[in-house]
Amino acid sequence: MPALRFPNRRRFLQTLGVSGAAAALAGCSGGGGSGDSTSTAGGGGGGTEASGGGTTEATATSGGGNASTEGGNASEETQQSGGQRTVGGNYIAGSSTDAQTLNFIQVSDVPSSNRIGLALDSAYAITTENEVFPLWLDLESGPDNRVYTANLRDNLQWGGDYGQMTAEDWVYMIKNVYQTEDNWAAYSNRGDWQREGEFIPVEKTGKLSFEIRLPNPDPAFPLKPILWGAFCMPKGLLEQYVPDKDLEGLQQDEEISTLAYSGNLGPYSFERWDREAAFVATRNDDYYMRDASDVPAAWQGAPYFDQYTYRVIGEQSTRLSALQANEITTTAIPSTQVSQFEGSDDTSVVVAPQPFCSQLIYNRRANSVFAEGFRSTAVRRALAYAVDKQLILENILNGYGNVAHTFQPQFSDFYDDSQVEQFGVGDTFSMEQARSELQSALGDTPYAYEGGQVVNENGNQVTLTLVYTTGSQTTETTCKYFKQQFEKLGFAVSLTAVRFNTLLDKYVTNSPTNGNFGDEEGDWSAGPFNAGERTDSVSPEQWDMMYGIVFNTYPRTPTSTDVFWQRETSTNFFGYYPEANLNELYSRASTATDQQTRQQALASIFGALSKEQANLFTNMGVDIIGYQPNVVGPDETFGFGWDDNIWYFDEA
Amino acid sequence: MGMGWYVARRVAWAGVVTFVILTITFVLLDAAPNAGLAQVQFQAAQSGQSAEAAAEAFRARRGLQGPLWERYLDYLTNLASGDWGWSDTRSQPVSEAILTAIPYSMMYGAPSIVLSTIIGMGIGLYSAVHQYERSDYVATLAAFFGVSIPNFWFGIVLLLVFSVQLNWFPVLFDAQIATNRTFSLANLHQLVLPIVVLMTSALAGNARYARAEALEYVQAEFVKTARAKGATGWRMLTRHILRPTLVPLSTLLVGDLLGLILTASYLIEVVFGIPGLGFLSYQAIINQDTALVLGTTLIPVFIAVIGNLLQDIAYTVLDPRISYGDR
Repeated sequence: MPALRFPNRRRFLQTLGVSGAAAALAGCSGGGGSGDSTSTAGGGGGGTEASGGGTTEATATSGGGNASTEGGNASEETQQSGGQRTVGGNYIAGSSTDAQTLNFIQVSDVPSSNRIGLALDSAYAITTENEVFPLWLDLESGPDNRVYTANLRDNLQWGGDYGQMTAEDWVYMIKNVYQTEDNWAAYSNRGDWQREGEFIPVEKTGKLSFEIRLPNPDPAFPLKPILWGAFCMPKGLLEQYVPDKDLEGLQQDEEISTLAYSGNLGPYSFERWDREAAFVATRNDDYYMRDASDVPAAWQGAPYFDQYTYRVIGEQSTRLSALQANEITTTAIPSTQVSQFEGSDDTSVVVAPQPFCSQLIYNRRANSVFAEGFRSTAVRRALAYAVDKQLILENILNGYGNVAHTFQPQFSDFYDDSQVEQFGVGDTFSMEQARSELQSALGDTPYAYEGGQVVNENGNQVTLTLVYTTGSQTTETTCKYFKQQFEKLGFAVSLTAVRFNTLLDKYVTNSPTNGNFGDEEGDWSAGPFNAGERTDSVSPEQWDMMYGIVFNTYPRTPTSTDVFWQRETSTNFFGYYPEANLNELYSRASTATDQQTRQQALASIFGALSKEQANLFTNMGVDIIGYQPNVVGPDETFGFGWDDNIWYFDEA
Repeated sequence: MGMGWYVARRVAWAGVVTFVILTITFVLLDAAPNAGLAQVQFQAAQSGQSAEAAAEAFRARRGLQGPLWERYLDYLTNLASGDWGWSDTRSQPVSEAILTAIPYSMMYGAPSIVLSTIIGMGIGLYSAVHQYERSDYVATLAAFFGVSIPNFWFGIVLLLVFSVQLNWFPVLFDAQIATNRTFSLANLHQLVLPIVVLMTSALAGNARYARAEALEYVQAEFVKTARAKGATGWRMLTRHILRPTLVPLSTLLVGDLLGLILTASYLIEVVFGIPGLGFLSYQAIINQDTALVLGTTLIPVFIAVIGNLLQDIAYTVLDPRISYGDR
C-alpha cells in the first residue's frame, strides 16, 4: 500500500484516498498490508507514488534514512536534552515513482508533496493524538467553531528577497490563486476553499494573523485538508503571474521549480533533482524551529539527518534488494515479502494502521444482473455470512491488516463496538446460515433458490461478474476466494481483471446515456461517479461485484465519508440507498459542537452501515515499512510520521 | 543518379515519414482515455469536491484545453522554432529531458553493443570453422541461454547474487557518479551488471547469426580458392569469410543500434534504476505526457529512417557489386 507520508501533510492522505493500498498501479504493491488494492494516487504512478501507482512512495516517506551516509558526514552533538540525538547521515527513502512538479499549487500526487515537504514545513501538523502541532502557524478556534484565526510565527523568512512570511502572503495567495472563479492557476484543490458553492471568506487581521470565517460551525476544520499541511508562496513571487493569469509562467518559474523561496521554512534545503533518479535535500542550518520556544526541545535541533534523499527505484525487487544491501534507509514492503525481513538484524519492520478499507462492492444499478438482490438488505446480510474474513486476513494477507466490519477502523474514536454488527468471523461465518438466510431473503426479489442454485425470473442460474484490478496477487487470490464462496451459495461467478484506470473509466463512472432503462426517477447528478438514480444511470460496462479499490475512511474526520453512503453524493457509484437516515446523522455530526454528540451520530452511522451491510467490508489495511535498524522514530501508530523531523540515526 | 541524390531523397523522405508518425501519435494520444484525468476526478469526488472542476484544472495544467487541431498546430509551430515543448510530468523542457536521458542509456548500451558485436561475431566465426566440435556445442548452448533468458529476470538474479549476497556491485545506479565521473572506475563498477545483462542477449544473437552466415562461406568456392592460393588461419577468416558475412550482419548491427535508441532496454533501466531513454519514453506514454511522448518518438523515428539509409550505404562499402544507379 502506498503509503502516506506524513500526517503533517494531510493532503497526502486525501490524495491516496481511494486507494489504499496499493500501489498496485505501478506494479509495486508496495507496502502495506493491503498493498494489494489499487489506489487512485498515482501511480503512477503513480503512485503512484500510487499508484502506483504508486505509492510505495507514501511509504517511502515514512521514513527512511540511510546510515550509510555518502561521504561520512561528521556528527554534531546537538543541544538535545538527554544528548541522545546527533546530526548525521543521509536518510534515503526508496520510492517507486518520481515527483511531477515542485509547484505545490498544482500538485496532485504524493511523491511531489513529499519532496516539497522537505523544504517547506507547512502550516501545522496533526499529532497521533489528533492535536494541532504548530509549525509555521497556530490555529485558534473561535467560541462557535466557525471563525478560525491563524497566527504566524514571527521568525519565518522567505528565501531570496521576499523577506518575512506574513499574513499578507497567505491572504494574497488564497484570494488570488485558490479562490478565483476561473481557477487560472489550475489549483488542484480549489474545492477545499469553498463551502456550499461559495468561497470561504479569509481576511488579514494583523501582520501575522488572518481569519477564516466558515459559513457554519465546523469543529473538525483543523483536521481537514485545508490549512493542515498547507504550503504558502511569497506574495512578491506570485505577483509576477497573478495580474496576467500567467499559468505557463507559473509552471516554469525557476524559483518555484527549485524551491528557492523556501528560506528558513523547512528542515532541509533543496539541493538537486535528478529526474527519475534522485531528489536530494540538505540540512537547513537556518531552520526556524531553532528559535521556537513552544515546542519540545528535540525540535530545536532538528533535523537530525545531514541529507534527505528520495531515490526512484521503479522495480519493487530492486527496492527491496537495496534495503537489504543497506543502500537505502527505508521502503515499503509488500505483505507477500515481509517474511524475508522479519527477524532480520539488518532491517526493522514497522506495521502501522492505515485508514483504507477494502470491501466487496455490490452494484445496485440497473446494469447488474442481480441488482434487485443487492438492493435488499436481507440479501446482503445473508451474503455476509458466506465470507470468512479471518481467513482472508490470515491466509491471503499473511496476517497484515485488521478485519473490518464497517467503514471505520476500530482505533477510530467514532467506532462503537456496541453498535457495529459483525459478520464473517467466528460463528457469524456459516455457509449454512448464509444459504438459509439467502433463501428466505430472495422471497422478496425476482430471484429464487432452486436446486441449490440462485436463479432469475427465467429460471436460469444467476451469473455474477466480479471485476477487480490487476497488479496484485493478493487481490486476485481474494477474488478467487469470493468466487468459490459465492458458487457454494448457488451463484455462478465470472472474474474480470482490468487495469485500475479501466476500472474507473468503464465500471465506476456512470451516466444515464449508457442505457435506456425507462425508469428515470429524477434528473439530479452528483458528478460522473453518481450521475443519477440507480435505475437510470449505469456504467459503460456491466458488472455485479467489484474488489481492489479501497476507500479512505477518514478516521479523523469521518463526516467526510458521507460522499460514499448517501443517495445523491459524489462517490456512491454502486447505487447504495441507505435505510437508516444517514443524511440526518451526517448533518448532525458535521455541525455538532460537542464531541459526544458527534461521536454518537457517527457511531450510529457506522453501526447502520454494518447492519445494512452496505458493502461487504473485509479488512482495514496497514502500512508495512522496512527501515535500517538504526533509525529512531518510527512507531506503529496511525499517523506516525508527523514528527519525522526529529527522527535520527542511533549512533550506538 | 549518384549516391548524393539518393541520400538527399532519402533524408527528405525521412522528414515526411516523421511528420506522418508524429501526427498519428498526437491524434492517438488525444483519443486515448487519460488515466491521470480519471484518477484526479475520482480523488476529487471522494474528497467531496467537484469532479468536473478537478478535470478542468487537470486539463489546464496539462495543456489539454482547446481543439485538437489548434494544439497540434501550436506544437508544430513551436517545434519549427526549436521548442520541443514542456514536460508536464517532469517539469522541465522536453529537449532537456531527452538530452539528460540519452547519455545514461548510451553508457551501458554502447559498451554492450561493441562488446556483444565483437565477442558475438568472434564466437560465431569460431563456431563456424569448428562446426560440430565440442567448442561449437558449448558456444551454441551459451548462445541459446543468452537468447532465452529474460533480461528482466536475469537482471534481478544478478542483483541478488552479486550485489545483495556477494556485495561486489552496488544495487542502485548513481546518476551523480554517471554524470560527474562518467569515465571513472566507479561508474564502470555500477554499469557492469547492466552491460552484462544487455550484452548477454545481444551477444547470443550476434553469435548465432554470424555462425549461420559464416557457414555459407566456409565451404564456398572462393574460400577454397583462397585456401588453395595459400591463405590460412586469420587472413582467410577475416578477409575471405568475415567480409561477405558482414553484409547481412550489418542489418543486424543497425538493428542493435536502433533497438538501443528506440527502446533503450526499458526493462534493464527499470531493474537497475537507470534514468535512461527507455524509461523516459515509457513513463511519458504511461503518464500521457504528450510533448514528451512526441519528443521521444521524434528521435527514434528519424534515426530509424536514417539508420536504414546508413545500412544501405554500408552495403555498397561492403559489397562493391551493389550500386545506387537504379534506385
